[in-house]
Amino acid sequence: MKKIVLIVVFGFLIFGIVSFSKNHFTPIYIEIPNNWPKPVYDFKKNPLTEEGFQLGRQLFYDPILSKDNTISCASCHLQATGFTHVDHELSHGIEGKIGTRNSLTLQNLAWSKNFMWDGGVNHLDVQAITPITSEVEMNETLENVVNKLQKSEKYVDLFEKAFGTKKITGQLTLKAVSQFVVSLTTTNSKYDKVKRNEEEFTEMEQKGYALFQNHCTSCHKEPLLTNDAFKNNGLPIDVDLKDFGRMKITRNSRDSLLFKVPTLRNVQFTFPYMHDGRFKTLTEVVKHYNSLGSGKSLPKELAKPMNLSDNDRVDLVLFLKTLTDNEFLLDKRFSFPK
Amino acid sequence: MSFLNYFLELENLKMKKSFHIIYFLLLISFTLFGQNESDSLSLKINTKWSGKNLNLNTTYISKQKDTLKITQFKFYISDFQITYDDNTILSDKKSHLIDFEKPNTTLFAITKNYKKKIKSINFSIGVDSLNSVSGALSGDLDPSNGMYWAWQSGYINMKIEGTSSSCKTRKNSFNFHVGGYLNPYYAMRKIEIPINKLQNQINLTLDLERFFSEINLKEMNSVMIPGNDAMALANLSSKMFYVE
Repeated sequence: MKKIVLIVVFGFLIFGIVSFSKNHFTPIYIEIPNNWPKPVYDFKKNPLTEEGFQLGRQLFYDPILSKDNTISCASCHLQATGFTHVDHELSHGIEGKIGTRNSLTLQNLAWSKNFMWDGGVNHLDVQAITPITSEVEMNETLENVVNKLQKSEKYVDLFEKAFGTKKITGQLTLKAVSQFVVSLTTTNSKYDKVKRNEEEFTEMEQKGYALFQNHCTSCHKEPLLTNDAFKNNGLPIDVDLKDFGRMKITRNSRDSLLFKVPTLRNVQFTFPYMHDGRFKTLTEVVKHYNSLGSGKSLPKELAKPMNLSDNDRVDLVLFLKTLTDNEFLLDKRFSFPK
Repeated sequence: MSFLNYFLELENLKMKKSFHIIYFLLLISFTLFGQNESDSLSLKINTKWSGKNLNLNTTYISKQKDTLKITQFKFYISDFQITYDDNTILSDKKSHLIDFEKPNTTLFAITKNYKKKIKSINFSIGVDSLNSVSGALSGDLDPSNGMYWAWQSGYINMKIEGTSSSCKTRKNSFNFHVGGYLNPYYAMRKIEIPINKLQNQINLTLDLERFFSEINLKEMNSVMIPGNDAMALANLSSKMFYVE
């Protein structure tokens, strides 16, 4: 009899430990189209789960990340515009303070080696620290974010679901945000569908595509539409902002005025353009590149003048609009969590 | 996990023998009480000013005649290595965040105590480049410890903050955040100290007077990015350690 009691007690103990140690995580995977390069992001170190993704989504849309609970990631990264800050040359944050750069889009980040216009951030998992701690963005500390989250019943519950622990840490907070933003993949634009032989370009789009391949793909490399490098694209420096780009990070004069080559996916909606948002329309952007001539400070990719006719410019812009992925821009999985 | 496996194994055996239960209880008690203070070799970090224990917010005068107070002092010790007299080497690959204000970070066990004569110790001040490019890490390396840079990724190897009337800055403050993991501004410093003694606790001491002895606070009071200044401060920081 004693033996049976012991076995029953022990059985309960086993059940308890098994149910505590084995949370039910639902693995999810991002879809990688054929012929795409291998992602840079190491998913093994942060395996995507539905629970982690949903936690990251909550964090992304929650102003709790900012000092006075007014600014969320989504304040400057709106889904409808490819997760960038539309209509503001320079993005603004807490108390209406204005930054020095135009916020980047958040698309296909799994393929990026580094982040920000100057590449100062070396890993997606630590990117969120930058806006959280920036005095003109969220002006908060990661330590305090963790404290606030730990006091929230909702988040303690979500962290337990996502990571099997009620103890919230900076690492887990950042990894959850990564799970959401790394899932923001756009692979279903008309351009992608043409590539997969599911649709066809119009005649003008096709001409624009040929011009694009001839003049733009050395930096805006297919299929990601960026080579993830830093380039001087011939823009004169803004005398007020005095932003020398990559040089701030490397302190090497060779990197003066170099900025990250951004992806052109959904470029139709990501205006204004360039690191300081100085161009409002794609036509202005194309005109800029078409007017460069052969300056000495230009990189080899821009050394050959484009000499585009007015019709060429129209065709090129029409092609750029085929990079719009409406399924991505309207995907309910990425929208404000209700 | 090994516990879990053990349980599952027991389950498979249908627990025919109560022997298993006794064994299990023994196992638990070993794990809980097996670690004993005297069985481990611990590292104690003592922070001093001119040979006396440092206190925060206390006025000190540096060899450069700067009057100063320290308000915050944190740094990383990584890759702690002990070379014994018989030339065996013991390594602790972890990074430990030492925070002057948290006594539990200034005394910790590094290894089992082999009771052998220690020839020398070596360690690094800071966090190595591999950890600096590995994203968000946990424990002492968690970016929420206030030792991680934002706009330019990487750890702050050492943070010394304080005030001095020599600093014509806001609130007369000086801020030294020393770090940088990319050449030519690699700011981690390796330190080797001979010991040649049998010890149960290594008393690693650092004297901040030595650090400030070559800093003119009027000229240098804000270093918060990797670069030449951070390299100079890193060099100074490697001169302040000794073993009592």
